[in-house]
Amino acid sequence: MIDLSENTCPTREQRANGINAFSGKASELLSQAREGKLKNCERDFQQNSGCLLNFYLSVRVATIRDSVMIVHAPVGCSAPANIYREVYRRLWTGLGRSHDDFDFHWLTTNLGERDVIYGAADKLRFAIAEAERRHSPEAIFILTSCASGIIGEDVEGVVAELQPGTRATIVPIHCEGIRSRIVQTGYDAFWHGILKYLVREPEKRQGDLVNVASMLSYTWQDRQEISRLLGRMGLRANFVPEFASVEDFRNLGSAALTAPVCPTYTDYLSRGLDEHFGVPFFMYPSPIGIANTDAWLREIGARLDLSERAEEVIASERARWVPRMEKIQEGFAKVKADNGGDFRVMGSLGQGRLVTQTPFFRELGVSTPVALCQDFDDLLLEDVERLLERVGDFEIIVNTFQAAEVAHTARKHDPDMVLSCPFQGSAYKRQKGMTRIHALRGDGRLWSAQAGYAGAVACGNFLLQATKNRSFQNTMLAKTEDPYREWWYRQPDPHYFHRKEARG
Amino acid sequence: MALTLVKGSEGPLSAVEYPEVAEAPRFTCALGGAYGATLGLYGAVPLLHSGSGCGMANAQGMTYASGLNSGGMIGPTTTPCSGLVEEHVVFGGEDKLRRLIETTIQIMRGELYVVISGCVPALIGDDVDSVVASFRDRARVIHVKTSGFAGNGFAGYDLFLDSLVDNVLSGEKPDVEKRLVNILGLAPNQHVFWKGELLALKELFASVGILANPIFADFGSVAAVQAIPKAALNVVLSPWNGLAAARKLEERYGTPLEAFGYVPIGPRDTASLLRAVGRRLRLPGRKVEAAISSQERHAYRFMEYLAEMFMVAMPHAYTAVIADSRTAIALTRYGANELGWNPQLAVVTDDPPEDRRPEIERLLTEGLEGTSVPRVIFDYDSHRIRGYLREQPLQVIFGSSLEKYIAKRENESHHLSVAYPTYDRLVVDRSYAGFRGGIALLEDMSHSFAGPT
Repeated sequence: MIDLSENTCPTREQRANGINAFSGKASELLSQAREGKLKNCERDFQQNSGCLLNFYLSVRVATIRDSVMIVHAPVGCSAPANIYREVYRRLWTGLGRSHDDFDFHWLTTNLGERDVIYGAADKLRFAIAEAERRHSPEAIFILTSCASGIIGEDVEGVVAELQPGTRATIVPIHCEGIRSRIVQTGYDAFWHGILKYLVREPEKRQGDLVNVASMLSYTWQDRQEISRLLGRMGLRANFVPEFASVEDFRNLGSAALTAPVCPTYTDYLSRGLDEHFGVPFFMYPSPIGIANTDAWLREIGARLDLSERAEEVIASERARWVPRMEKIQEGFAKVKADNGGDFRVMGSLGQGRLVTQTPFFRELGVSTPVALCQDFDDLLLEDVERLLERVGDFEIIVNTFQAAEVAHTARKHDPDMVLSCPFQGSAYKRQKGMTRIHALRGDGRLWSAQAGYAGAVACGNFLLQATKNRSFQNTMLAKTEDPYREWWYRQPDPHYFHRKEARG
Repeated sequence: MALTLVKGSEGPLSAVEYPEVAEAPRFTCALGGAYGATLGLYGAVPLLHSGSGCGMANAQGMTYASGLNSGGMIGPTTTPCSGLVEEHVVFGGEDKLRRLIETTIQIMRGELYVVISGCVPALIGDDVDSVVASFRDRARVIHVKTSGFAGNGFAGYDLFLDSLVDNVLSGEKPDVEKRLVNILGLAPNQHVFWKGELLALKELFASVGILANPIFADFGSVAAVQAIPKAALNVVLSPWNGLAAARKLEERYGTPLEAFGYVPIGPRDTASLLRAVGRRLRLPGRKVEAAISSQERHAYRFMEYLAEMFMVAMPHAYTAVIADSRTAIALTRYGANELGWNPQLAVVTDDPPEDRRPEIERLLTEGLEGTSVPRVIFDYDSHRIRGYLREQPLQVIFGSSLEKYIAKRENESHHLSVAYPTYDRLVVDRSYAGFRGGIALLEDMSHSFAGPT
């Protein structure tokens, strides 16, 4: 149940038994989750891994077009958002973005020593007034921080007090980093604010509008492809949150359906729209890979009484893309033959990518004996079960992408290709292959696409390309140091430094 | 952190109640600055005693913002972090920190482990010093106390230096090496060209027989830190960063300091620096002058290769610089004194301490050729800065990547990122320091305006 009378969402730990660590077979993970045996754990050795605010919530919220973001925090918490004015303008206007809409704005209350002693509500009031005066936005998002949380700042009180005299809708988002070990809680908190303050009671259902909440890691090209496919179905996509207008958020409640791209990221929004605004949703599959894109279109067709149209679209798309995918599969068959019959891939996957990307790897013809998963909870258990039926059992390491654990796992399993998140420290130092799992939103190249049919082919080609030369990885391995002592790699378990259970 | 306008204070700030509430300010927090500095010191391992997002915020928001860098081998996700959550807020974070230090020593190689404590331990009152002290016999572990609200990132660099001086240097006064100088004032991973500048300065000083200790950027590690008291002079190349450390070193070891204030660009200011340091070290003037004239001759001969292009494309331009203090000073002076440019505006974005502002203003406005004296504004609010830029015609804007599209669309001006945040160019060991620095500067910017007609 999504309770919108509350100030914010429960944590992922509270809502769905979210965990930050596991190592074993995916089947064991599934059965332990079903038995309620999984526990969050405390790490004695831990590395940077992002928090509720800084697994780039600030970077995303800053892209909402006619809004102003206020980060109620010391100045460093919003530092990543400094990229807001220029990175997305690398997307050329020919790709269907307008120039002026990308003039984003955000403020920090820049909390200082005095503020954490005496409170900073007045500063927040000033920031809200300043946002309104400078930009007359449609919405003002307030993102909280560890510091504002620990000093007990009454953000809700300030919002209640100022909203009547403020034209913009004020949306507080409780993303204090200390709230949870699971960064997904930050997204839930964001969606809670959206559902509570922005989504409008629908006057009329828009039968052709489909909500698509997509990750920053899916690119502008993916958005183009999803629009194209929905367009062929006679449908329109309502993309949130990046680059959306505030009106797009208000309209979420009048859509006919919420379709997934990344189910774990969309979960809270999808359920909330269903429970409070009557917008149905589905969680599986996402349009990643040819077969999953077929199934995604079929699911949308079934839900919106467009099954026949869906079959027509699928047939014509398959005629266009499957021959190109077969070429890629031939390419991988050759790679496998040269590699002793198998090509083993290890990906750094979010929970959403785990269930969407793993079947895609099988489609390409590569195997995934081991997968890294950022975190894990009860929300996708059926999807994981279905995944196991489809691809068989595999090793899974849930570890919030802890870099030393990733390095240990990569050394132990020695896959032919490691697919790493961006900025995963030193992961490029390998004898065997390594490439990135995804690009970022500012990347407008078709080369970096992943979603839909065009994305499946682009991504397949990208991975095939990655098998052709590894001199960069080899050279960096040979010529630079390893950050960890050899002792670390000799330990049998990448979770060597784990305490069994965390207190909170 | 109060913000005042030195010149042109009739701007939109007069009614401001909380001037520090800002759009996209041009710095990170003190934790970030100390973290960036630690990453710049070879052999040092940073340990963040903080929430789990502080390092990630500074990976994208600081190292990546200083020319698309990732902070090196122990950057982004490799950095140990205590990842504090509510449990630690309730029960305290000292235990977690103790285990983090212990395991870090076990798993990661390092000569110096630097515990950088952020907002959470400061707010809950963790006794970080005691935890750090308990490792005294096991490894070299030091503490930099830098809650995010203890100042900005540039101040964080100074806090890091202060901790080095207090905790790594021995109390004894060593024998002074009379040709050895320390370079201070270049904040790693914040001053965008820090690596290239430090290496260029080392080479530059070597050309007159001075051994420079850059501390950061090369492989000096802890030995370079321990060599600090042996220097005959501390050369401070920022009008404020590094100054507190230099004064402390003067007090403690009697090392004099040369507060030059900026890293010189081009032959004229570079020669001034060499002469100033040469005088302080009592180097034979003839030797210094010989080194200057041979390098100067080379630089100006090569200027001839670009001079025709320059006179067609960008002569006597109206210029603005929006940057940290030392970068603003160096570029304003080089443009006015060597290129014949007319500086109109200097927005100083690193929020320097009040008592250093008159000196910064002096360096930005005195000793300039030509008839233009730039308007000097101390501000870091990207919205207001955009307004200042609109107030006069400009042909060149040196700034951050925040100005990239504004310069083109709102000022019809050429733009080059030289200051935090720089997300639109890769800067590894590039710099504009020294005799050929001006040539490098023009190499980097001229392609955008000197194409075929």
